Amino acid sequence: MKLSLPENQKLRFLRWFDFRSWRVGMLAYILNRVTAIGLVVYLYLHLVVLSILTGGPTQWDPFVALARSPFFLALDVILLAGILIHGLNGVRVTLTGVGVGVGAQKTLFAALMLVGAVLLLAGAWKIFMG
Amino acid sequence: MALNVTLRMFRYRPDQSARYDMFKVTVPDAANVLDAIEQAWAQHDRALMFRHACHHASCGTCAVRVNGREVLPCIVPVKKYLDGDKPLTIEPLKNFSLVGDLVVDVANFFQKQAASGLVITRPTENKLEGKPIAYDQGLDPASVETVPFNRFENCIECGICLSACPTMAASVKFFGPASLAALERELDKTTDPQRRARLLELADDEQGVWRCHSAWECTETCPQNVRPAEAIMALRRRIFAQRFGFGK
Amino acid sequence: MQNPKRSTLGWFWQAVTGALLLLLLGVHFIAHHFIAAGGLRDFNQVIAYLGNPIIIALELAFLVAVTIHAMLGARSILFDLGLSAQWERRVTRGLTVVGVITVLYGIWLIYAILGANSAVAFWAR
Ligand code: SF4
Repeated sequence: MKLSLPENQKLRFLRWFDFRSWRVGMLAYILNRVTAIGLVVYLYLHLVVLSILTGGPTQWDPFVALARSPFFLALDVILLAGILIHGLNGVRVTLTGVGVGVGAQKTLFAALMLVGAVLLLAGAWKIFMG
Repeated sequence: MALNVTLRMFRYRPDQSARYDMFKVTVPDAANVLDAIEQAWAQHDRALMFRHACHHASCGTCAVRVNGREVLPCIVPVKKYLDGDKPLTIEPLKNFSLVGDLVVDVANFFQKQAASGLVITRPTENKLEGKPIAYDQGLDPASVETVPFNRFENCIECGICLSACPTMAASVKFFGPASLAALERELDKTTDPQRRARLLELADDEQGVWRCHSAWECTETCPQNVRPAEAIMALRRRIFAQRFGFGK
Repeated sequence: MQNPKRSTLGWFWQAVTGALLLLLLGVHFIAHHFIAAGGLRDFNQVIAYLGNPIIIALELAFLVAVTIHAMLGARSILFDLGLSAQWERRVTRGLTVVGVITVLYGIWLIYAILGANSAVAFWAR
């Protein structure tokens, strides 16, 4: 199939940020994408940081002491938020994709995000207090 | 009673940079947004480019964005948007090439619609309550099968769902919600295995159903209740059923 | 069963690894942030933790699942930018290579960490 393509193709995706058109689905789409990129960046940071472990306790233990500081713990909470948003939204995408909850996707999204908020609060409490 | 309303109209020509023009118009109380656009054209600027035909949501020609949301201006009342003397912002659909002002180039979209097989007219749907429709003007009922009647489809090919779709915003190669819905509709109609295989092949593509990221904006915005997102999910189940032998 | 196309499989594996990750990432996050005293393990705790072969299997499964999921996701986001067919092929190949390197790095990492604490002692047990 041959298609005639419009010419003004550059930076089309910037239109995602035309917030006037944001509805629940658009919000879910943007959240999923932003958290996805954040989590991939974190994954590689994490893998690089873990290489400190190969230096044995003299290198790792001072790092752990740093990572236990409130600032790093707060970053952990942000990480957890990203995981929950992305994971629970993934549940919605997968369920509707295989035909479950089709037609109730907005309710599904709201319910899952509510679960996420509860888990986030519980997790944050555990991270700081546990 | 009459309504005084200001339209903040998107203006564009290929050789000029885009701008917004303010048009103050007076329309009857019951006017729809399209009436206001026509008034702007009639009273202020005959060079204003916009498209319309039927005035009653059956041609799908006039779709634009009003205050950022895709609508058929022929069926939404001006009153719905009136908020003090705030102007109504009228812009063309997103995700299409601009031709001028409110007019966008729908060729790419229509090519996809044609590829999906859901053409404007076709020789089916020629029965009403089980009886062949013969418009009696000397029409031989036996030939009814080959006479193209207007199709009875929901989709009016307005392009609103394409404008609202975030995946379409990213890539014009995406087959798009309306055309995928058309594929699903065609699959429901045909039992010819070869044709079914060809239609499924179109849907089962990187730029087909798998490009969709489930934002469901198409179903949200479609003025005709076509539910393209549901159709995409149904197509996925068909493909799974065919490829893996389970599901629907 | 007909051969599923790559496009189908991309979505399929994204969903499967996604479901696995709910489980494996749950285990990973809880093990490292909620169970470990003080929020994170010091070196000796890490070694003790990795002393359990089931843990190593789980962490490796996690690594493989998360890498596949991340690569398919990155591919999808890049494809959304409307690439040419040629660039789509390049992206697919490039991300496959990155994914394989990532998993190999992870395996090496576990080996090297244990090695830092004498791999010999570990394997001899
Ligand atoms: S599916 Fe709905 S929104 Fe999309 S083109 Fe058809 S009528 Fe318009």
